[in-house]
Amino acid sequence: MVSRCIVRAEAKGTLMRTAQSYEGRRIKFDNRTLYNFGSCSYLGLERHPELRAAAVAAMDEYGTQFSISRAYLECGLYQELESNLEKMTGRPVLVAPSTTLAHIAALPVLIQDNDAVLLDHFAHASLHSATELLGDAPVHLVRHSRMDQVDQLVGELSCQYDRIWLIIDGIYSMFGDVAPFNELASLLDSYPRLHIYIDDAHATSWLGTHGRGGALMHFGHHDRVVVALSLNKAFSAAGGALALPNTELKMQIRRCGGPMLFSGPIQPPMLGAAVASSRLHLGVDHVDRQHELLRRIDYTLVAADKACLPLATRCQTPIFFIPCDSVDQVTDTVRGFFNRGFYVCPSIFPAVPLNRPGIRFTITLHNELEDIDAFIATARFMVKERLGKTVGSLGLIPDDSGPRAADSGNY
Amino acid sequence: MSPQIQLKISTSLAQDATIRLQLGDAIRAIYEVISFPEGGEPDWERMKKVFLPNARLTRITPEGVDCFDLETFQAMALEMLDRGIYTSFFEHELIRRVNMFGAFAHVLSAYETKTCPDASYFLARGVNSIQLLRERDSWRVLSLLWDEEAENVPFNLEHIFAGEITRG
Repeated sequence: MVSRCIVRAEAKGTLMRTAQSYEGRRIKFDNRTLYNFGSCSYLGLERHPELRAAAVAAMDEYGTQFSISRAYLECGLYQELESNLEKMTGRPVLVAPSTTLAHIAALPVLIQDNDAVLLDHFAHASLHSATELLGDAPVHLVRHSRMDQVDQLVGELSCQYDRIWLIIDGIYSMFGDVAPFNELASLLDSYPRLHIYIDDAHATSWLGTHGRGGALMHFGHHDRVVVALSLNKAFSAAGGALALPNTELKMQIRRCGGPMLFSGPIQPPMLGAAVASSRLHLGVDHVDRQHELLRRIDYTLVAADKACLPLATRCQTPIFFIPCDSVDQVTDTVRGFFNRGFYVCPSIFPAVPLNRPGIRFTITLHNELEDIDAFIATARFMVKERLGKTVGSLGLIPDDSGPRAADSGNY
Repeated sequence: MSPQIQLKISTSLAQDATIRLQLGDAIRAIYEVISFPEGGEPDWERMKKVFLPNARLTRITPEGVDCFDLETFQAMALEMLDRGIYTSFFEHELIRRVNMFGAFAHVLSAYETKTCPDASYFLARGVNSIQLLRERDSWRVLSLLWDEEAENVPFNLEHIFAGEITRG
């Protein structure tokens, strides 16, 4: 089923594409330059001169790779990176080669044999993969953000298990919705055996003090909450990080978490970029970047409202989702965006449920306000046309119709 | 024609119409029980009334054929819901052909699934082959077999419903 959905989108030229060049605001493939509304580099730091210079400097000092397991000997840049991340988050931090490997390292250490797991069914795929590696702990899948179901299950399981681990995302990567932090805080108060593991990859950098993300804004002080962050996406480097309640747990995961012992480290150029990014996060200007992104998110929400765009959620996050009726409608509409000079992402199964295909677009500091205006006008046209006469196999909207990016030719 | 014969014919026609109406109710009920809104589930209790206790449900996919009874079908559907593969489901009938004899009926029923009832375009479509058994004043499903449109399974209603009669 997975393969069939992907093959259909691939056949329409909307998946498995290869970029020819990329400069943040625009992206080139198939010899066409499109305005980029598909990036998760929310703060647009990947071309920041300090990150680029730091990557080069680290490469000059250590070479292109530092090919020794971190368990034996780590590249010196790790020390400054973890130290800066600890200042950012206010917690002991362990850096991992990626957020996925952070989950794979942490969860089998955190979750013991007499623990139970509740996993939100929309939690990131990497969390689902990591929980499959758990030994005897039973894993219960729960409906998305259904706190009533979580409440009931935690109540029932508290009688049988030492700890109940709820595993969720802080911001969900497809629909852009936010975890119900206030309700989660109430549950933590009600159930002393409840622990929460939050993947906050999509909130890292652009949200919270020094970019610590939404989960740590709410639970930074809480000793029963573990938060995973991303050093990709808005952080614009490489790797993942675990913000842990105490140093003992940090060292336990470092000593026993599989990928911490056996996987390759983050390589020097990207460690250099990560250190430079962490310095920016600790700098006084960082809050200005965050405010500017929030301004553009709000601008997009207002423009989308005026255009009557049927967004799946209206959270103040940089992730937006336009629901469609079918995979064909998604791929045809995405092609329509390409043809009009905008890059967006098709969202189909298994990234979203079979019954919730759609188009994901993101807002970053690369997107100028005039880009957003042009994009929303095009989205409005596409949605109106789609609802009016139905795209998909019944016929595409002619490519020469409707608004488009100012300098776009035919795709 | 004598009044008694006329009465018998009209009674028989009325009975036939009633039986067909009841069959239509049973088909509608199939689509109603398996459909559910966001966050919901199929109506499992009603499903036990619509289907016979020994009913079989058979799904054909490009990967193979899956056979279920009511219990294993419910388990499979709940697993799909738990895994977030589906969060709602709406299926409705497009067209049907009915063959009846004695106490059984075979119904070929083309369907569409949609993201919501008023979606402008279908998510998937296919054909249900349904065997029903008549019990007193109602019909219950003995077997539900379905396959979905795919690249090598064209959805051509004229062709699907044309059928052919071969004399033995």
